[in-house]
Amino acid sequence: MSAITVTSLDERIRRSIGADGGASTTQEYFVNMGPQHPSTHGVLRLVLKLDGENVREVIPVLGYIHRGVEKMGEHLSYRQFVHLTDRLDYLSALANNWAVAKAVEKAANIETNERIETIRTIVAELQRIASHQLWWGVFGMDLGAFTPFLYGFRDREKISDILEETIGARLTMNYIQPGGVMFDIHPDFQRKVKEFLTYFRPKLEEYETLLTQNVIVQERMRGVGVLTAEKAVSMGATGPVLRASGVAHDLRRSEPYGVYAKAAFDVPVGRNGDCWDRYWVRIEEIRQSMRIIEQLIDNIPEGKHLVVKPAVRTKVPEGIHYSQVETARGIFGVMLVSDGKDVPYRIHVRTPNFNNLWTVTETAPGWRVADLVTIISSLDIVVPDIDR
Amino acid sequence: MGLITEKLPGIIEPVPGGSVLLSSMDAVINWARSNSLWPLTFGTSCCAIEVMMASGAARHDLARFGAEVTRPSPRQADLLVIAGTIVRKMAPRLKLLYEQMAEPRYVIATGSCAISGGPFIYNNYSTVRGADEIIPVDVYVPGCPPRPEGFFYGILQLQRLIREGESIRRPGERRKPVLAALPAGITLDQIQAELRELLESKAQVKLGASATAGRG
Repeated sequence: MSAITVTSLDERIRRSIGADGGASTTQEYFVNMGPQHPSTHGVLRLVLKLDGENVREVIPVLGYIHRGVEKMGEHLSYRQFVHLTDRLDYLSALANNWAVAKAVEKAANIETNERIETIRTIVAELQRIASHQLWWGVFGMDLGAFTPFLYGFRDREKISDILEETIGARLTMNYIQPGGVMFDIHPDFQRKVKEFLTYFRPKLEEYETLLTQNVIVQERMRGVGVLTAEKAVSMGATGPVLRASGVAHDLRRSEPYGVYAKAAFDVPVGRNGDCWDRYWVRIEEIRQSMRIIEQLIDNIPEGKHLVVKPAVRTKVPEGIHYSQVETARGIFGVMLVSDGKDVPYRIHVRTPNFNNLWTVTETAPGWRVADLVTIISSLDIVVPDIDR
Repeated sequence: MGLITEKLPGIIEPVPGGSVLLSSMDAVINWARSNSLWPLTFGTSCCAIEVMMASGAARHDLARFGAEVTRPSPRQADLLVIAGTIVRKMAPRLKLLYEQMAEPRYVIATGSCAISGGPFIYNNYSTVRGADEIIPVDVYVPGCPPRPEGFFYGILQLQRLIREGESIRRPGERRKPVLAALPAGITLDQIQAELRELLESKAQVKLGASATAGRG
């Protein structure tokens, strides 16, 4: 990255007139977008190389919210590490918890029961809907429409209430732990979830009428920021970003965990990999998540909600253990390097947003700054998840 | 103080009517400031969802407290809500943002991370142990993250601070920071009932009452 050259006023005027007396010449320049910027969803900094308003190059600069989670994990027991994963991708806290729980259970051979897995699946899907609702609202706001933000949050609060009743927290859940879930479900849980589903189905149609069918929104999304399937795969993009490019890879389908194998659902796949496809895939995923919940909510089997004693510090056998889940943004993986103790030797977290963000370096060049905002917003990034 | 009080003659005590007028003016200015806080859109992590977004959305509605006009530029904002962890790389930027804001400016530190480092305090090499190591903080709102009601409680505490704050009689008086924790054992219904009651009483402007508060 070269420094900005400072030129004298005379020189600049001469250039703008042109040495040949008329033909204008332009100069590329750098602009910082962030770390404090309303459209970067946190403290992401993008260095933009611009030619006028056209983006020539995007260089993400990270580390403004690097909290050293992986290093902290080396001092915490596996149960204690779960609460830190809440704070990585805070919009899919439950799926992140699940990844740790799954890795430890697989490594330490802890058998969970059907009830635990069903509860986990339902709450994770509920949070996927909540996450997509928030994304939808913020996406509308980034495009300049404030109403979606209000609509999205109106419905998200319903899910927050349901989860709060059972879990006790609205955002950082710390609910799914190795060997089960922290609390059994609230007696009203099933009734309220069903109420929510009947409430939300017409609201989703309202979303479509408000934003999806809006011609300005469509014009701003169609064909903007095309990510080809080859590029998406080679850059390691996952989740809706990958599926929008036409690759039908969903961990819930390809290597089912929880009780996803029992539920019938479709994996929505886009064709072109533009912002429109990424939008459509997420809206469609809300529908599929509702389908999954609908099939499972009446069939929660009886059983214990926790199969290990809460205070036990689980020991994990020596070796490297890896486990991954599909969050609302893509594949979230946890790698544990254990030396046989109750504390990991090294813990590594593979977060979806890191790879998803990097696709912007491919898709944004050639578009204008306003389109860059659309592209970033369509990637649905959460910055603490990138920086860890 | 502001333009009006500086231009007005008779800040000196002797004139019996003058001092009363000026301290009343103070109370009016402070009352106006406390009810039109413009927050900066600044959220680093999880707290931003609860404090900046859910609070501003339809159900909780920060606009009831006159603080919904979030500004992306620090030069137009007078309230800095530190929503999330501050790490060492971000610390100089936070200080810069604070310095760019015009006086009078107020700071609310929300969540454990902004208060003390929170969950990221032990065995950690990158986080700043509380935002008050970098910039002065007026109100601390505990929680991880605080729920929107908790944040509103913090906003109310800040409004109280501003109303009782600097005046002609006490120029440049440093505001003492307060911890705005919701009382233990309070239920959500109680909070909402209290907020409703407070908003109804706030709907009427009581100049007499606030003037006395400002003088005291």
